[in-house]
Amino acid sequence: MSYEMWIILTGSLVGVTCGTIGCLLIIRKMAMLSDGISHTVLLGIVLAYLISQSLSSIYMLIGALIIGMLTAFLVQFLYNRGIHTDASIGIVFTSLFALGVFLVSIYARQVHLDIDHVLMGEITFVPWNRLTLFGVDLGPQAVWMLGTVLVINTVILIIFYEPIKISSFDPVLATALGINVVFIHYLLMGMVSLSIVASFESVGSILVVTMLIVPGATAYLMTKRLSTMIAVSAMVGILGSVVGYAIAYWFDVSIAGAMSVALGLIFAIVFILQLIIKKMYQRSHRGKIHVT
Amino acid sequence: MKKFMMMFAIVMILFLAACGSGENNGKGQNGEIVITTTTGQIADAVTNVGGDLVEVEALMGPGVDPHLYQATQSDIRKLGNADMIFYNGLHLEGNMGDILEQIDSEKPTKAVANGLPDDQLQQDMENPNEVDPHIWFDLDLWALVVNYIADELSEFSPENEEIFRENAENYQEELEELKTYAEDELATIPDESRILVTAHDAFGYFATAFDFEVIGIQGLSTDSDYGVADIQDIVSVLVDHEVKAVFTESSVSERAMESVIEGAERRGQEVTIGGELFSDAMGEEGTEQGTYIGMFKHNIDVIVSSLK
Repeated sequence: MSYEMWIILTGSLVGVTCGTIGCLLIIRKMAMLSDGISHTVLLGIVLAYLISQSLSSIYMLIGALIIGMLTAFLVQFLYNRGIHTDASIGIVFTSLFALGVFLVSIYARQVHLDIDHVLMGEITFVPWNRLTLFGVDLGPQAVWMLGTVLVINTVILIIFYEPIKISSFDPVLATALGINVVFIHYLLMGMVSLSIVASFESVGSILVVTMLIVPGATAYLMTKRLSTMIAVSAMVGILGSVVGYAIAYWFDVSIAGAMSVALGLIFAIVFILQLIIKKMYQRSHRGKIHVT
Repeated sequence: MKKFMMMFAIVMILFLAACGSGENNGKGQNGEIVITTTTGQIADAVTNVGGDLVEVEALMGPGVDPHLYQATQSDIRKLGNADMIFYNGLHLEGNMGDILEQIDSEKPTKAVANGLPDDQLQQDMENPNEVDPHIWFDLDLWALVVNYIADELSEFSPENEEIFRENAENYQEELEELKTYAEDELATIPDESRILVTAHDAFGYFATAFDFEVIGIQGLSTDSDYGVADIQDIVSVLVDHEVKAVFTESSVSERAMESVIEGAERRGQEVTIGGELFSDAMGEEGTEQGTYIGMFKHNIDVIVSSLK
């Protein structure tokens, strides 16, 4: 496979993984939590480094995952005590992120652990960061990692689809039906953290935040059925990475940046189309009333 | 929904078709060895050693700070099509270093710092744990790098070894001349004025080679922020040593420098901005500062004219 294809495949995997998770966040009105977690993982990465004294990615992954969960937990904790979700996300994410920056500047100055460098996987270099097992070249590491996360997410989603759906739209009903709402919440937050961390490693932060929110938001404009929304969102994610790659090729710019721009454009087009369709629908409707 | 699926499929197919074409691998137009380097300095050295036998491209263009480098789409082609890759090493390229190490299993990808004996490398001024990667500011080390490049090129293309060796020797002579020039010029600066205040400490090797004291405001990486204490320390040094000028860099903003100057003025020490030094990046291609020697000369001239 050519380098280009690996990059597009990686982008698409991020698109599908984050696009799916993003839908669940959006219907829970917690889209900004993804932004929050994508910042607080810095703290996890720094702590992992300080404890393990190594820049190996497995420790960073675990550290990031733990802090991601902690972020979700703290946000929920504050929310339960009467602080609005958006405010509590704002509080938790800025303070944990600041703590991360603080620790970097005290202990980890020597290491190339500045925010950009640790967090930034760079999608451009994905084809060269290969996974070899027993001397066999299995292709880019990122593809394997993202693929694994995607499989885990899909399995969880299939098993827990109904409980997730009900508890997202109507937590009270869910509780009445005997669904463990708290468990579902943390299951979901675990999926979010895992997806964010894995995507971060491979493609860097800008693209992750975009991929988590924009495809889901676009799909939400087109449908109100959760299953359709997830499918559309995944496709928008893929479309964004393909079109984005084309833009990057055309203008010779950062690939992750171009993919984010492409997603923004897709959202804008869908948004405008949807407005036009609504207008037309209303007009034809009104016309009918006049005639009869 | 169906329409959406159709559109989706069409875009994908069109794109894949567009992608499939336009793949060419290795070898320049007239059979040159295609070489990609990370920094402009290395590109310049490789061009001088390889002459007409190589076609060199750098990932980081003029004015691009390696610490802040962002990959673009064409870098895939540059890395993918190259026959050989040279990079600096010693963590100058950050995380990209890991990737480059991996590419080595596919095609020769060499860190030029490998050509240097360990005892000639020096610690970074601020962080004793890390080796200072700015090796191009020591002309003797750079001459060793030129040798290393000649070695590696000869290994890749043994039939041209003589040409590479001869080119390398000629270039080393030029570097030797540059060294004499630098020593003569810098000798005009009185000992007590040999303090170089720059925006970030890229000049460690320069300082050792030419007996300067270097003070940088920011840390090793241009990314890290400067602290208030750093600035005050530097202001004190400026006042105590009556330093006449401080220097900006092509790849670093002037803001930090300006606060230092202001601080010194408040304490009665007149300091001017001595001019712009090239630190991590070189000048525009085609200009004199776009070559390694031109860049080095520029730095020497700027330093001499403002500290003399």
